[in-house]
Amino acid sequence: MSEQRLRIALAGLAIAGLAIATYLTVVHYDGGDPVCLAGGHGCATVQESDYAKTAGLPVPVIGIFGYLTLLLAAALPGDRGRLLGLFAALIGFGFSIYLTYLELFVIDAICQWCIGSAVVMTLSFVVALLRALRFTGLSSTAAGPLPAAD
Amino acid sequence: MASRKEEKEQRRQARLEAEQAAAAEQRRKKLLTVVGATVLAAALVLVVLIAVNQSSDEGGGDASSIDAEIPVLPVLDSLPQEGLAVGERSAKVTISEFGDLQCPVCKQFSETVVPDLLAESGPVGAGDARLAFEQFTIIGPQSEDAARAALAASEQGRYWQFIEIFYANQGTENSGYVTDDFLTGIAEAAGVGDIDAWNASRADPKWDAVLARTQSDASKAGFTGTPSVLVSGPGGEKIVGAVPDAGAIEQAVEDVS
Repeated sequence: MSEQRLRIALAGLAIAGLAIATYLTVVHYDGGDPVCLAGGHGCATVQESDYAKTAGLPVPVIGIFGYLTLLLAAALPGDRGRLLGLFAALIGFGFSIYLTYLELFVIDAICQWCIGSAVVMTLSFVVALLRALRFTGLSSTAAGPLPAAD
Repeated sequence: MASRKEEKEQRRQARLEAEQAAAAEQRRKKLLTVVGATVLAAALVLVVLIAVNQSSDEGGGDASSIDAEIPVLPVLDSLPQEGLAVGERSAKVTISEFGDLQCPVCKQFSETVVPDLLAESGPVGAGDARLAFEQFTIIGPQSEDAARAALAASEQGRYWQFIEIFYANQGTENSGYVTDDFLTGIAEAAGVGDIDAWNASRADPKWDAVLARTQSDASKAGFTGTPSVLVSGPGGEKIVGAVPDAGAIEQAVEDVS
């Protein structure tokens, strides 16, 4: 996959994740429950659990920051974009694994929106990793991959 | 002549290859350094994020800062309480929640399902059913201490306030947070007026029989986890089972009415 396609894919994923995180943030501050497909209280249970906040910030707000960083990484050409994407995606992917573990084994409730975000973040990580492997080591932002990197 | 030219070309080729190899090696080194540093920095941020998120969990179980600002209290205060049940005495149906005060899933149930049941549109708020909390103590000895304290609060009509405030301040299971100070803080926040009488009551062995009967009722219903719900009324009994939602309970209330 070309560098251009990887950047477009990352931007698309970041926008999808941003939509999910924004919806959950709006619902949080609106005081309502997220719409959970097939009924059930999974989303509300997760959103109202002790783990739904980190340092007073609702987890979806952290998600918004994460996806905005990924979007910025997709917009940045060259190694700066590659490294920023890898940095943000690594944190997002790791945090998604942790949150999914909490849902399955601690909170005992599944929030489909959170799983959706975890899937988006996993795909973002794969794309960011593929892009990071094209690291050139050249300082020029316009640098393309060396033949050896392909 | 030709061989000298070839030699020259070979040397040029070798130099080019060496330069390329050096560039590739430099790239590999830089890749390892820069990408490695990025991965390390990301791991560090991740560890901090998880640690901070975990520490949010330790907000409960603190005797020195009991949180009594919970949304369900005004609704509870507006409904009559008798024994272990909240709701109109004329209601023919009883919803029995078998719960453990230390159980985190019961805490979620109390925060998501119970308010729906107590609301004006819910079966308890509408006067169709009463909601009873049976102390099904399955997590540990601290669950029994908490249960006795709640039962003692029932003698002063503050049973459900005690339960809901306990859940709002719940700590980690069996971590030792259920101390006398903690329970007293919950009782005071729940509006238990006579703390001396409450202290004497919770130490009374009379609650042993209540707890034993609940264990036996739960066993008869086949309950092994908390919260489990049994709905009984003129139309018979219905086991709604473990961790039901408000819709399933409302349906069971209709079925046994």
